[in-house]
Amino acid sequence: MRAGCAVASFAGAFASSHGPLIVREWDSVPSNEKERLQKAFKELGRRVTAARPDVLVTVSPDHWANFFLDNYPAVCIGVGATNEGPPEPWMKAFPSRELAGHAAFAMHVAEEALRSGFEPSISHRLKLDHGTCIPLWRMELAKMPALVPMLVNSIEPPMPSLARCLEWGKLLRKAIESFPGSLRVGILATGGLSHSIGEKTMGAIHEDFDRETIRLFSSSEQSLVQYLEEQLPSRGNGSEEVRNWLVAHGAAGGQGFELVDYLPVPAVIVGCGFASWR
Amino acid sequence: MRDYWLSKMFFDLQQPALAAEFRKDRQAVFARYPLDQRVKKALLEDDAPFLAERTNAYLLRYYFFATGMKDAEFARRLRGG
Repeated sequence: MRAGCAVASFAGAFASSHGPLIVREWDSVPSNEKERLQKAFKELGRRVTAARPDVLVTVSPDHWANFFLDNYPAVCIGVGATNEGPPEPWMKAFPSRELAGHAAFAMHVAEEALRSGFEPSISHRLKLDHGTCIPLWRMELAKMPALVPMLVNSIEPPMPSLARCLEWGKLLRKAIESFPGSLRVGILATGGLSHSIGEKTMGAIHEDFDRETIRLFSSSEQSLVQYLEEQLPSRGNGSEEVRNWLVAHGAAGGQGFELVDYLPVPAVIVGCGFASWR
Repeated sequence: MRDYWLSKMFFDLQQPALAAEFRKDRQAVFARYPLDQRVKKALLEDDAPFLAERTNAYLLRYYFFATGMKDAEFARRLRGG
């Protein structure tokens, strides 16, 4: 980078839970929980808006919208100028069928990754499923930033290690701060906290695990990763999505986050967490 | 263990047109995939624990959603109830 040349800046990191029942079973959510969820989504949206991101890197799993057993990448970066809205029929009310990407920045992330010993898959057109789109929708952003999707496998074993996800976050930060131009780039991690899908424990929410995980995000990376490595195998398969929070944590410098809200919501079978990093 | 074709059918059933066809005639959709007889039997009996050993948990949930089964009933079946 030439001296005096402007580079992009990190605008902030945020996290939000997602889950199909937040849409499909919204009417059956008790009113007090519904109000808290609405408030948390809107507050997160307010914070994202206040950060003024031109680009939002959305870190989410792919819930079998793009990939199958033929080829399921550990990490995929969406480098297209445009991506598709959610393919799920029950997401048809989502307001956008297409979402603008930022090809130049996304390709810069992919190239920076490859230069640094990371090997992401890339896609020039992704379907952004409910994992990405429920938080974007419910946050009610007045202006949608360009989206650079980063899909991290937390659905089908084997999955990237927790430590690697932290490193991915650090790499994202490096990519942001080496991209020429005055772009402001935020990160939105989605998924988690505890939930269990399609397994015998389906519906279980582990509030103790969720609260300890939240606490440890303000502790050392080693403590956080060690705890998660020990606990994740018994805390429901949906809890694996905490990988996305680790990416945000790594990008934000590991300084911990401000918890916007946490509440276990049995009606949507998710321990719902909302956070913005310091 | 992953049963590729069972999983492929579940994956494909995310397409609304195929899901609609499936709701009218399950057997016709089953016939398009080289499924083992034991797997077909489990599908016809909604044997969730048997199927769970052979596919991804999220795909299994999609499948039972496509059949019209509510999550609560699906969870009960997963637990062998």
